[in-house]
Amino acid sequence: MELSSVPRMAAGCRVHATQDVLLIPEGTLNLTGSAREILLRVDGEKSVERVVAELLQEYEGVDAREMQADVLGLLRRLEERGVVRA
Amino acid sequence: MAAGPLSLIAEVTHRCPLHCLYCSNPVEMQRAEAELGTEEWARVFGEAAAMGALHLHLTGGEPLARKDLPELIRSGRAAGLYVNMITSGVGMTEDRLAGLVDAGLEHLQLSFQDVEETSANYIAGTRAHALKEALVPVIRRSGVAFTINLVVHRMNLDRLEEFLAYAEALGPDRLEIAHVQYYGWALKNRALLMPTEEQVRRSLPVIEAAKARLKGRIHVEAVFPDYFGSFPKACMGGWGRRTMLIDPVGQALPCHAAGVIPGMVFDSVRERGLGWIWRESAAFERFRGDEWMSDTCLACPRKEQDFSGCRCQAFLLTGDAAAMDPVCVYSPEHERLVELRRPQPELLPVWREL
Repeated sequence: MELSSVPRMAAGCRVHATQDVLLIPEGTLNLTGSAREILLRVDGEKSVERVVAELLQEYEGVDAREMQADVLGLLRRLEERGVVRA
Repeated sequence: MAAGPLSLIAEVTHRCPLHCLYCSNPVEMQRAEAELGTEEWARVFGEAAAMGALHLHLTGGEPLARKDLPELIRSGRAAGLYVNMITSGVGMTEDRLAGLVDAGLEHLQLSFQDVEETSANYIAGTRAHALKEALVPVIRRSGVAFTINLVVHRMNLDRLEEFLAYAEALGPDRLEIAHVQYYGWALKNRALLMPTEEQVRRSLPVIEAAKARLKGRIHVEAVFPDYFGSFPKACMGGWGRRTMLIDPVGQALPCHAAGVIPGMVFDSVRERGLGWIWRESAAFERFRGDEWMSDTCLACPRKEQDFSGCRCQAFLLTGDAAAMDPVCVYSPEHERLVELRRPQPELLPVWREL
């Protein structure tokens, strides 16, 4: 997963409509901090870079490098877990 | 008990084309004529979702034996639940699967009995292996999340490496390595199925290597078989804490084996709402909290982790459902389990009716 990657949710993985959980086959992952906002933008069309840009626009005053690290970190962890694909 | 169940297991039928030696369903099965109807299930799914349940697991028996399976899936999704299905694949076609996915099926789990056809069919008591294999590309084309479950025991554990390579080539999203659980019918075949300690020990690095190799491609889940542990599993995440199971005729159980415990009375969703059953029924209250626990458990900090283990297993191995799970090294009956781990004489298999 790089900034130019275009991530998508793996089959059978989706953010719950109202609760801060990610529903996956046979389980749930709790979404903390900005995880929900990040994943709602993972649609198989936007690049990681684009997701970061959108979030920076939404949350003024957040350090760009910090945001980039947060987004990449989360997506890489979830890719390893088979929940996000690039 | 404020929180409701997180998952609802719906055993929509006990009818099944397979006759697996390791089937952990009850020995006495519910009859087809008495099964809950489409509308009754829809009501149950709605009530479960309203209590906060997230996942619906459609299982059985073989869910495909129900002609109304698409309607069941649709009503689960309409209630807001994530819909899983566990299937033998027998009765599935490309059209039928398309209908299920269209209805909202999100995840499908297919089990394999062995890497080699003759042995797989022997274990399943049915010639289903080739059919399952042929179904895999159909499932992959459908786009549904796909888990392959490898059921392991003494007869196939030595072939785990080969079995994993076979499953990997089939290309699922997830791979589960599931040891047989000795409940229901499986208990009749325990001496035949229970692996030796040596087999279990040898399987661990094989599993770790597969996890590392497949990371990011196929998610591998494996649970250490509790018969070989020193501390019990937190069975079902604790009695009446996370899961509710509805059997084919509408009885609500804390787990699918609970009927084995003498004196248990299960309320039916035909007579009571799910909320009442969860909060107040005698069956769900029976082993909540710690009042029923032994002094050893009461004094042990692990009671918050494993809730004294599995009640059904405690009963099956000691005759007392409130006893400590004998998997625990502190159990006065732990020696019984140590005895079971010793190599057993090979016995003849006992199949469900063929």
